[in-house]
Amino acid sequence: MEYTAVLNKREDKDIMEHDVVGKRVPNVDSNVKVTGRAIYASDLNLPEMLFGKILRSPYPHARIKNIDVSEAKKLPGVCAVVTAEDTLKINYLVQGPPFDDKPVLAYGKTRYIGDEVAAVAAVDERTALRALDLIKIEYEPLPAVFDPEEAMKEGAPVIHDNRPDNISARTERNYGNVEKAFAESDYVFEDRYVTQAVSHCCLETRASLARWDSNVNLEIWSSTQSPYFVRKELAHVFAIPPTKVRVHQIHVGGGFGARSKVCEDEGIAALLALKTGRPVKITYTREEELTATRIRHPMIITLKTGVRKDGTLLARHMRIITDNGAYTHTGPGVQGVAGMVAASLYRVPNVRVEGYLVYTNKHFGGPFRGYGNPQATFAIESQMDLIATKLNIDPIELRIRNANQPGDTTACGWKIGSCALQECLERVREEIKWEEKKKNPVPGRGIGVGCMIHASGFKVYLDGEWSSAIVKVTHDGMVEVYCGATDMGTWSKTSLAQVASEELGIPVDLIKMITMDTETTPIDLGAWGSRTIFIAGNAVKMAAAEAKQQLLEAAGKLLEVNPLELTIADGQIFITTDPYKKISIGEAVLASKERVGQAVYGKGHYEPEAELLDRSTGMGNISEAYTFSAQAVEVELDEETGTVKPLRIIAAHDCGYPINPTAVEGQIEGAVAQGLGYALMENHSYDNGRVLNDTLVDYKIPTAMDVPPIKALMLGYEPKGPFGAKGVGEPGLVGIAPAVANAIFNATGVQIKTLPLSPEKVYWELKKD
Amino acid sequence: MNKSISLRVNDVDYKVNVENNWTLLELLRDRLHLTGTKKGCEEGECGACTVIMNGEPVNSCLVLAIEADKAEVVTIEGLEKNGQLHPIQEAFIKHGAFQCGYCTPGMIMSVKALMDHNPNPSREEIIVAITGNLCRCTGYTKIIEAVESLVAVNEKDS
Repeated sequence: MEYTAVLNKREDKDIMEHDVVGKRVPNVDSNVKVTGRAIYASDLNLPEMLFGKILRSPYPHARIKNIDVSEAKKLPGVCAVVTAEDTLKINYLVQGPPFDDKPVLAYGKTRYIGDEVAAVAAVDERTALRALDLIKIEYEPLPAVFDPEEAMKEGAPVIHDNRPDNISARTERNYGNVEKAFAESDYVFEDRYVTQAVSHCCLETRASLARWDSNVNLEIWSSTQSPYFVRKELAHVFAIPPTKVRVHQIHVGGGFGARSKVCEDEGIAALLALKTGRPVKITYTREEELTATRIRHPMIITLKTGVRKDGTLLARHMRIITDNGAYTHTGPGVQGVAGMVAASLYRVPNVRVEGYLVYTNKHFGGPFRGYGNPQATFAIESQMDLIATKLNIDPIELRIRNANQPGDTTACGWKIGSCALQECLERVREEIKWEEKKKNPVPGRGIGVGCMIHASGFKVYLDGEWSSAIVKVTHDGMVEVYCGATDMGTWSKTSLAQVASEELGIPVDLIKMITMDTETTPIDLGAWGSRTIFIAGNAVKMAAAEAKQQLLEAAGKLLEVNPLELTIADGQIFITTDPYKKISIGEAVLASKERVGQAVYGKGHYEPEAELLDRSTGMGNISEAYTFSAQAVEVELDEETGTVKPLRIIAAHDCGYPINPTAVEGQIEGAVAQGLGYALMENHSYDNGRVLNDTLVDYKIPTAMDVPPIKALMLGYEPKGPFGAKGVGEPGLVGIAPAVANAIFNATGVQIKTLPLSPEKVYWELKKD
Repeated sequence: MNKSISLRVNDVDYKVNVENNWTLLELLRDRLHLTGTKKGCEEGECGACTVIMNGEPVNSCLVLAIEADKAEVVTIEGLEKNGQLHPIQEAFIKHGAFQCGYCTPGMIMSVKALMDHNPNPSREEIIVAITGNLCRCTGYTKIIEAVESLVAVNEKDS
């Protein structure tokens, strides 16, 4: 117990006094990442390895009448051809029954162009591709439906037999008394906002490599954000215990949500490996990536808001029609988050959310940075500017009047602890020179702002919400941190190493990070929901503190002082008042009565003080900390061409204390750029369910020319976060689209309510007036 | 159909038999096991496979292996000399100019090709030079900062 005092003293230190956290420590993977030596799943080759390819449905909706694989099997070099008959016909869980509608390979019907029907393993990719051409499938095309509003109509083609109305999930939330509040409102606004389908476009396409051993143990190297869910899903579809599945550590070439649940290639590579008894690697082409992996769910949002004439928000009714695509994946959660955002962004006591998650015969939605939040926030924040204009209140002033404040509980039960939303708004107002630009408007230029609220981890799974870590300090003074967290580019390995280093007093370059590996690391649920730094960070901090306690106790015995009188710094343990009396970390390790072999181990398991979401009421304080941001954009608009050029962006984030400012800025800048893609250019277009822009030539994402200077401001401090940190992975994207729409509104007086704000659309919308 | 070609990659001479339809990217990754050069789209749009061939940056997915006969090729693996990182690599580390790292090899090769020809590029020239290299993680901000820091150093030297 006495050592706890030492640890608490550390917590009380002025945050500026930290040795390692808060510093711009270089990325721990720097060397391998700049030299090309970082190994990604697609780079990996194993002895005896085969290459897998997937045959996909050419029809948006069709009955599979017969599959003949005999010719394909005869092709020299082909080692296996599999169909659903080779599987157990168990569907992936994702959000669990009754939403588990996606099999490993389609049987009975295919439901979108790209649906996986069969797969081949061969000695090389070209042979595998030739074999796909030899598989003969007899299809009976069925009527298909592509528009969610059409799919909801009586008599629309039924995509899943157990959902005759094509509605996968309904969300019905009633917080407070909306009808009464609308009646008491001075003004009621009602607007319809529409968002589009966009792809993550990770630079690395999907890749996974699977192999089985003779004891039915499955190993997989996969570009995943969540080894936990990969293990759980593969164990489920192959009906083996989860512990028989080992997901390995590997570099991951981007995620953004695309890889935070199971991906189809993982199951198919494992199936082909099982059939052949050899390792099988599947690497997607860019076309597969753009047509048969997850997208951001498009939403049609009707938002009705009641306000007093002083701008006070009284009520919101958000009606959401979500285009689910052919399978459910995380649609219920995404729609649920949109609803929770409707109930939580700003102080609004009465909220009704009505959501319909509707099947269509298209590629399907999944998690994507923000997870329903960008769609809901586009509607809320766009409409805030309409309200401000009508009431003749400055848009930033209107937001400040309604801003969430520390100590608030939102309509859906989110308990707001630290909250610097108002400060974020004040800072962007100052930095973008809001007042000055409003007074002296320049023709063709506009400024706009977009705010957001997001959680640091979401307690929404029955599995719970936690992370765990083991910190091992060895006899040579080195440290190994074992944590299941995944770094798909977010610098989480670096930030977590800094947390361990700060807590232990051992330099960060002596710390080795072992992550992702489900066999050697304690479990973490994955890198999604802006959860890693808050939850895994706290777990690593706890584990480091426990190891430190053991070192101090041993050192106290050796130096014959009370451990409270000791300090660890730069890898040495010394008497605080007499620094020449010191021993090395290694000596303390070997003297520890708790040592195991030549190391001491500290363990940490962190479960945030959050409530599991009540799925029937939508109530629950699902996170221990909430992040806020206000982002301002200045644009230049060419009315002749409709082109909108962002000139500068001020991104103020209440992200808590930044463990590594370079990493946090990187998250904000990258998310802002993705937000600009969402706002201005990205959009899947379809012809009868076929994705027309299935290459990066046609599906444009921002290049270096499209991103203006971004100034990231890092504000706030979260007492429950490790060293004051909160999550920041997703927030930067969320408010950008409405900020751009509001800047166009500011410049022209025209608000465009559908995304993206492409030149063609802007041109025609301005012509309308 | 295959053909024997000779080429020099990162100061090493190779003589290899290649199929006529192989790309330089396939040759580098699958035959020479130089997996630092990345495959992102196979249609010349993302720039992840950028290498320097005869002094010019190319998308190695758009070059046939047989076109590289007698060529001098530099890939990301060829930048480090005698255990010393190239200054561009150092600058990327110092400025945190990468996240997932998948676009990084191609990005660094495009920057190298730029600076070999033009050691003091303007901000606009830097942006033009890397416009063919897509990055989905960083928003390019820190990449541009990293290259600008090298320009400052070069200007001091000259």
